[in-house]
Amino acid sequence: MKKTMLAAAAVLALGTPAFAQETVRIATEGAYAPWNFLNDAGEPAGYEIALGNAICETAGLTCEWIINDWDSIIPNLLAGNYDLIMAGMSITDERLETIDFSDNYFPPDPSKYVAAAGATLDFANLSGARVGVQGGTIQAAYAEENLGGANTVVTFATADQAMADLAAGNLDTILADGAYLDPVVTASNGAIEFVGEDVMIGDGVGAGIRKEDAELKAKVNEALATLKADGTVDKLIAEWFDGMGPFFAE
Amino acid sequence: MFEDLAFWVSYITNGKHLTWYASFQFTIYAALLGGALAVIFGLTGATLKNSRFAVLRLIGTIYSSIVRGVPDVLFFLFFPLAFEQAVEWFVATQVCTPESIAAQTSPWPPCREANWFLGTTEYLLLASVSLGLVYGAFATNVIHGAMRAVPAGQLEAARAYGMSASQVLWRVHIRQMWVYALPGLSNVWMLIVKATSLLSLLQIADIVLWADRLGAPNFLPTVGLVHDDWRWRYYLVLFLFYILVTWLSERAFEAIMRRAGRGILSEVPA
Amino acid sequence: MEAIFNDLQIMLPAVMFNIYFAAASIPLGFVMAVFLALGKASSNPVITRLSRGYIYAFRGSPLFIQFFMFYSLALSLNLTVWKPLGISGFVLHPLFIGPLVLVLNTAAYTAEIFYGALRAVPRGAVEAARAFGMSRSQQFRRVVWPNLIRLAWPAYTNEVVFLFHATAIVYFALPVVGAQADLMMTAKTLFERDYNAFLHFSVAALYFLAVSLVVFFLFGLVYQHLMRHLPAQPRLRYVPSWWR
Repeated sequence: MKKTMLAAAAVLALGTPAFAQETVRIATEGAYAPWNFLNDAGEPAGYEIALGNAICETAGLTCEWIINDWDSIIPNLLAGNYDLIMAGMSITDERLETIDFSDNYFPPDPSKYVAAAGATLDFANLSGARVGVQGGTIQAAYAEENLGGANTVVTFATADQAMADLAAGNLDTILADGAYLDPVVTASNGAIEFVGEDVMIGDGVGAGIRKEDAELKAKVNEALATLKADGTVDKLIAEWFDGMGPFFAE
Repeated sequence: MFEDLAFWVSYITNGKHLTWYASFQFTIYAALLGGALAVIFGLTGATLKNSRFAVLRLIGTIYSSIVRGVPDVLFFLFFPLAFEQAVEWFVATQVCTPESIAAQTSPWPPCREANWFLGTTEYLLLASVSLGLVYGAFATNVIHGAMRAVPAGQLEAARAYGMSASQVLWRVHIRQMWVYALPGLSNVWMLIVKATSLLSLLQIADIVLWADRLGAPNFLPTVGLVHDDWRWRYYLVLFLFYILVTWLSERAFEAIMRRAGRGILSEVPA
Repeated sequence: MEAIFNDLQIMLPAVMFNIYFAAASIPLGFVMAVFLALGKASSNPVITRLSRGYIYAFRGSPLFIQFFMFYSLALSLNLTVWKPLGISGFVLHPLFIGPLVLVLNTAAYTAEIFYGALRAVPRGAVEAARAFGMSRSQQFRRVVWPNLIRLAWPAYTNEVVFLFHATAIVYFALPVVGAQADLMMTAKTLFERDYNAFLHFSVAALYFLAVSLVVFFLFGLVYQHLMRHLPAQPRLRYVPSWWR
């Protein structure tokens, strides 16, 4: 068995050019509108896709988008299945222990609670509530630490699944990024509303990069600086987030 | 009414849905390749189990009983990861220099030159091989039993004709074996078909992933049609798809068994 | 070596979730399977068709899809049905809906095993019972059922082991409440920390193998008890087969 495996490995090593890095592969989740989602054509779209393409163009890189589930998006970056993560990922100290980030392309954004209209939740001493979060997010870590004891924290694979459970009344509240929730609350026509106080977690959203990829990080940061200076980043934020900003104008 | 119909027809034929329909190919490829590999591994395992050498018999027995004693999903996740690491380890021994190993900060691979990119194609191949390995263990059992079910008289007759051992094996033993193995192999095939639903766990954008993305509630007009949670409808389609595949497979196996059993047996043991 | 013991310790609470899922669904699945098998063999064409269709559908589709489908279906009924009844949080809890789907699934597989055994019950024994003047329920309890369960037991043991293995995918399909995690989730989390696939997945596999062996042993004892009337008692061996 071992011998055949080595033989197969040798064949793969010689025959596969995949070991050499040609294109930059960018992973996204595709379930976090308006950051990143799959549009009606079945292709990745959203703020990060527009920005990512602009970065690649500016830096002269060939880029390819890859859809990867959120919960394994960092492990698969480290495993080398792609080179960048652009998936609404907040820069946190905990993540900085394993991966590196580009400069942020979205400013620090408050996390907010939403609930069905008319819900009465006492946020001063919340207890017995069912709090939905997306697994592996800054909100999941926050909820586990601050709400875990007295409340039930329910973890979902995607933010959309958590929204489905909230809409169906299986959750009392959801804690998620404000920029993700804002358009949902607006579009719900009052069915879903913000509750409680905003929470500041995370240092803005950036692109995740392997620590040893300093060269790629420099290229991305350089392109990002150009795009911030010429107003492209602000323009894209305003376009995808309903006129938000400007944040990066000189 | 007609406008409604036209709207729904255009909705279920938009690019997102078409991508979903196209993703059925991954499921079908994985099932066919996995099935073919399962037969090959099954034949290998059964040959090992029938071997004259105790060591080979032991290997065959260990393979078929360990793999069957563990959930398919565990092996399905483990094998591609382990294989990737084995390849990277092998490449690392060839290409890594002390400097590049020192420059590596993440725990794996040893150096970045040894990194192996896995895309959909690679994962699909690895997934098929895992399916083949897992269900090959079941096929080993089936084929081993079937080889013992071949009447000894037929093998003796072949030997009496002066056939060599390998001629007896290939021209008589394995050919006659299929009749007895087919009912069991049909069962193994059904297991493989059902196991293809796990492809999304290996980051393949398969039918299950698209059903989730299509059915998830959408609140934003910029994203597409605004709708509530429609997931169960999409999963129902997949539920029915698998039942249909099962039904078609049953009919196909019936036809094959009728053909294979011609003139040999009046009844095939169930 | 120390790493293995460490993993064994971490996964000990996790294996309890898998055991719970299996233990919670086996008894109900068994009872439901008996009714389904009798339904499939019934002389009433409507009951036969319904049982047959149910068994076919649940054996012909993946458990993974069944989990997703039943969770989202139950979710869409939440506001209209579960909430008014006040059982919302209970019905949609993975510790409830997980075993529920497993019951629906294993009942179909078990029913097919029982149906096969039912048809294999010696006709002469049933005729003798009838000649004795036994009522239909007496025939079933005293003749058909004892024969059926003896014939079905080895295959049923196999199905129970498969059901235990099937618990590995529960948390891949359902939301996770609090820090509850089964063997697969734990192994995956540990793997994502240090990329030691061989260690963590092997330890999880070890647990699955160990519990499978315990199941074979316990069901083997029951089998010996069932077969105690025979002079040479047949033994149940550890042979997970292709049944399912």
